[in-house]
Amino acid sequence: MENISEFNLNLALQHWLARLGESPQVKAENLKELESHVCDSMSQLEGKGLSSEESFLVATHRVGSPEKLEPEFAKVNRNPWSLIVHGLILVFFSVVCWFLWGTLHLPQMTQAMLARLGVVDQVTGYGALPAFTRMMMGLGNFMFVPPLLAFIYCLYVWFRKSSVKSSWMGFFASTTAFLIFITLPTLIAVVIPLIALVNHLPAK
Amino acid sequence: MLTKELVAASTVPLVLSVLTESENYGYALIQRVRELSGGKIEWTEGMLYPVLHWMEKEDLIESEWREAETGRKRKYYWLRKEGRKALQEDKQQWMSVHETLTKLWKTSLSLI
Repeated sequence: MENISEFNLNLALQHWLARLGESPQVKAENLKELESHVCDSMSQLEGKGLSSEESFLVATHRVGSPEKLEPEFAKVNRNPWSLIVHGLILVFFSVVCWFLWGTLHLPQMTQAMLARLGVVDQVTGYGALPAFTRMMMGLGNFMFVPPLLAFIYCLYVWFRKSSVKSSWMGFFASTTAFLIFITLPTLIAVVIPLIALVNHLPAK
Repeated sequence: MLTKELVAASTVPLVLSVLTESENYGYALIQRVRELSGGKIEWTEGMLYPVLHWMEKEDLIESEWREAETGRKRKYYWLRKEGRKALQEDKQQWMSVHETLTKLWKTSLSLI
């Protein structure tokens, strides 16, 4: 009889651990520690005269329900996910910055085409690029700086020892805000010479 | 019973303080706190472990798995230098709250 009860208890314990282990946020080592805790707790309760089943129920009840524990473990174990998201945002941010850098080279191409059409007079500068466009093109040469800064920030987040949660939301918000802030003037700077080119295209 | 907020605020200083007595494992830590508080501080026991792991990541404590004579494995925790420093700061803060409340309650008692 005792043996059957012992077997059931083992099964119950495994079942309880399995349920907790379903969450990817709870690591195998966490489960091992909780198992050790429940065993200690049960030994003490059995010492007070409770049966195996009773002590199992009391011990697991005191530990808390999986629904309650999972989010708490998630908070400490979640960090790798946040680090991955930081990396993804960095890649996205760098690609968009590279794209904007490329976009800011468009006026040069339109300028070359206009020169071939004879619209731009190299001597008088008539038909030269608008000052705003030239300024944006100048800034475009420094387009490698924001991704570099973002990369340094990511290195700091990835390799610092402290695990104080650094929210990827903040990183995402600031990079996106920067992109919006820089994309609008870029588009304006590029569209003006493009329109000029279209206007001067020879009618076929 | 403490409120949820007070439990959340006091767990780290309690753990740090118990670990100044000696290195210990989770279950015994909880027993010690229960015993000292006369059963007034009751944790949802499982909640302690995420806190311990967080403290370990913050370098406040260290841990190691050890096997007891019974063959049961337990994870022992002990204080690090940073943990002692954090405890000193916690102590000052808790003491100032405690002293202020004590003074206030003394005057209000004498008024009654």
